[in-house]
Amino acid sequence: MYGFLQHLINGLAAGTIYALVALGYTMVYGVLKLINFAHGDVMMVGVYVGYAVAFLMGREHFGTFAGVMLVFLVSMLACAAFGLLIERFAYRPLREKPRLTSLITAIGISFALSYGFQLDLAVNLGGTSYTLLPGAASRAFPEIIVPNQWFEFGSDDQSVIIWNWQVISFLIAAALMVGLQLLVFKTRFGRAMRAVSFDHRVAALLGIPVDRVIAGTFMLGSALAACAGLLYAIKDTSVQPLMGMYIGLKAFVAAVIGGIGNVPGAVVGALALGLCEEFVVGYTSSSWRDAVAFGFLILVLLAKPEGLFGRVQAEKV
Amino acid sequence: MIRGAAPAILAAVGCIALQALLGEWAFFGYLASLVGVNVILAVSLNVINGMTGQFSIGHAGFMAVGAYTGGILSLATAQDRIGVLPEVVSDQLFLVGSLCAGGTVAALCGLIVGLPSLRLRGDYLAIVTLGFGEIIRVIVQNTQALGGALGLSGVPQRAGFGMVWFWVFLVVLMARRLAASPHGRSLWAIREDEVAAEAMGVDTTSYKVRAFVLSSFFAGVAGALFAHFVPIVNPGSFTFVKSMEIVVMIVAGGLGSTTGAFTAAVFLTLLPEGMRSLFTTLGGGDPSLAQKVDQVRMPIYGVLLVLIMLTRPQGIFGTHEAWDAVARWRKKARA
Amino acid sequence: MSDAPLLEVKNVSIRFGGLKALSNFSLEVRKGDLKGLIGPNGAGKTTAFNALTGVYPPTEGAVVVGGVQINRKASEGQGLFSRGAMRPFEINRLGLARTFQNIRLFKQLSALDNVRVAIIARTAPLFSAERTYRMKVAGGFSKFAGRTLETINNYLDWWRAFFRTPGFLREEAEVTARADELLQVMGLSHRRDELARNLPYGEQRRLEIARALGTGPKVLLLDEPAAGMNTREKGDLMVLIRELKDRFGLGILLIEHDMKLVMGICEQITVLDHGETIATGTPAEVRADPKVIEAYLGEAPGAAA
Repeated sequence: MYGFLQHLINGLAAGTIYALVALGYTMVYGVLKLINFAHGDVMMVGVYVGYAVAFLMGREHFGTFAGVMLVFLVSMLACAAFGLLIERFAYRPLREKPRLTSLITAIGISFALSYGFQLDLAVNLGGTSYTLLPGAASRAFPEIIVPNQWFEFGSDDQSVIIWNWQVISFLIAAALMVGLQLLVFKTRFGRAMRAVSFDHRVAALLGIPVDRVIAGTFMLGSALAACAGLLYAIKDTSVQPLMGMYIGLKAFVAAVIGGIGNVPGAVVGALALGLCEEFVVGYTSSSWRDAVAFGFLILVLLAKPEGLFGRVQAEKV
Repeated sequence: MIRGAAPAILAAVGCIALQALLGEWAFFGYLASLVGVNVILAVSLNVINGMTGQFSIGHAGFMAVGAYTGGILSLATAQDRIGVLPEVVSDQLFLVGSLCAGGTVAALCGLIVGLPSLRLRGDYLAIVTLGFGEIIRVIVQNTQALGGALGLSGVPQRAGFGMVWFWVFLVVLMARRLAASPHGRSLWAIREDEVAAEAMGVDTTSYKVRAFVLSSFFAGVAGALFAHFVPIVNPGSFTFVKSMEIVVMIVAGGLGSTTGAFTAAVFLTLLPEGMRSLFTTLGGGDPSLAQKVDQVRMPIYGVLLVLIMLTRPQGIFGTHEAWDAVARWRKKARA
Repeated sequence: MSDAPLLEVKNVSIRFGGLKALSNFSLEVRKGDLKGLIGPNGAGKTTAFNALTGVYPPTEGAVVVGGVQINRKASEGQGLFSRGAMRPFEINRLGLARTFQNIRLFKQLSALDNVRVAIIARTAPLFSAERTYRMKVAGGFSKFAGRTLETINNYLDWWRAFFRTPGFLREEAEVTARADELLQVMGLSHRRDELARNLPYGEQRRLEIARALGTGPKVLLLDEPAAGMNTREKGDLMVLIRELKDRFGLGILLIEHDMKLVMGICEQITVLDHGETIATGTPAEVRADPKVIEAYLGEAPGAAA
């Protein structure tokens, strides 16, 4: 019973993080019909930015509200800028080309980032060595939120623990998701986004600045990803170049399970995946973790290819 | 039928002769086999990614399935012999059996992966195949009978480069004949316009699935061949990096061109090998410099993909084929 | 039996969200019919075609092709375990072929290959394609058996192609001859080996018709076949369409903007506006209908001349 509750809590915590990343996939897919393969790697870059900021900030600011905010804000801004750059220079020139070209480009960017970051590259300036690329080894992520058992229930060998970072990440993620839902359905930008997602040519004819809307979507998605990445790094207490690829893939799976292009669907899919993974790992062995998501994906595609909340979209003829 | 199979029979004779002539030259044999395996992988992946316009990025997964199936079979039959035949012939027959088994199991996996994902739009296949590669890796690492993370060793080293290049010939012949058949034309049609193809009575899902099964079969054979000339088969040989390497080959060669896939596979296999030996020599026998160069290779592949898409999405050859050029040239010469 | 309608559309409606793109649309096409479907832009003409060919499943109503109902409820998805509506290729093989308003040729393929793709070798190696399709359509176990036979056929086809068996080569020759014949009928023989994308616009439209004919249809749906042509080309095309109808024993349903042309060749005309059928009848009847005149607002037949 305690074990079950513990898995439930861990699964939900992991699920909320997947959800934040999945939202980025789903939004970009919504407006561009492109699987932004590089999304997870943008997230990874964001985590390294956060790592650098925390490192420069110094240990004394860890655990303070201002310190945490600084790390998150800088990392999210950097990621938004990075997402904007990728969209501008890699995807925009290919927008009217066959869809395969953008897909290949996205795969290429993902590959370049996740393996580029595995190189060791440092320059020596004035006697100090500056690390440019971090190298393949996994690094310990600084404890910017000092871990602490927020809630404990039960006796020593059989207990349910809720950590403070689980609560914090759950709250942050929930707030961001609600904010996103409001943004999409209650603001002008959201309305423009939905119009572009319906048909970007018609939207352009109606005077919607399509380029800006798409760029905005990328920035938003990337910022959410950075936030999710930091939460994940805090949970895992480590950061490594391949994390983007793995988390990104799982988040994508979550988006597909929920019905890609559907915002609440992505959240539900992510929570389902987080729980599923946690239960399989909890009751079998952790080495199966990476296989769970894809097994789940294949099952969903077999039974309900449009996802749980998606609708079959016929191509316009 | 006999006439149709004639090129393959001729090729078999040629490959046996070459093997007999150059078989003693170990370095050449190893390199030629490596190149051959990559050519088989690239040409077969081109059937699904190039001709059909779908996008699989998990070819290494099917290669792994073939390698482990073939390897396990050969391990189990390592001591067996068909009595009446000379040892070499018997061994080679067992090898062919293992190769076909590896290909068949990989093809079945292709069916399982392809059926759900190919009914959907092309980009789903990318994710599902990538996921498949990961599942295979996890399964292999967790199965003691397959050697776990350490890998499988002791597979009899029966595959000479002659055998490898015989399969290279087969896969190229297959690709060429496929492209010129009704089946191939339907694949091109799907690549051009799936809605129109469907409206013209082409069962797009079925064609895509069959193309994928065929592609997986040859990936499996390539894997099984690989297992029979490298000392250890371990999960590390079939990672996402391997899949990407093949994707880069066919994208650079030109999606849809068998000639392009072939050329790029040869070039992109020899280049890093050449660099590695060059830098090992430069480093005075110290392999660390060569390892550095090897690491840089992967980000370069990623950047290369982006650059090709931005500047020349049709790759080197587009969809042109060497044999078409030859046919045109001969026609001109006759006129 | 010979007079049974080849295509029967009964009270078909299509809704996109709250928007009713087509409502209560009914129509019959028999052998030898040449019917027209007209209406202002956005009247739902192409939507009607998409409903008939299985691109969008109808929300309500029934579409029957060659005696087989092709649609089930739109809500049924395409899962492996659920029987969805018939897919466009299956409908095509029941004898319904179409062209597209915005030309959708296989641009990188030669004109010949465009037609050859459509001529699926109907002489399958073991079991006739006709038979397997009928079995699949029947549903239940028969559907499963039909699928199995078809899969066997498909894989046998491969081997024939790889080994270039005499049967395969003969079939290829037949398919090519048939394609050449269709190209000649459509006046495209001189473009045989050119890529479809390099053909002039009018020829691309004709190639679309040749391709549709390649599938061996009983009913041909033409979506604005004369769009973008000049008056003389249009006239020639209309003569050609009538010839095709007699030569191949087709029933033809065509969408056209040019009222004069439609009035000239169609025996019966259906007028759509905002998804509603506002008039059906002979050209003379339709021309006199006040609702039609109103819908076209001064684009009445007299003024269009």
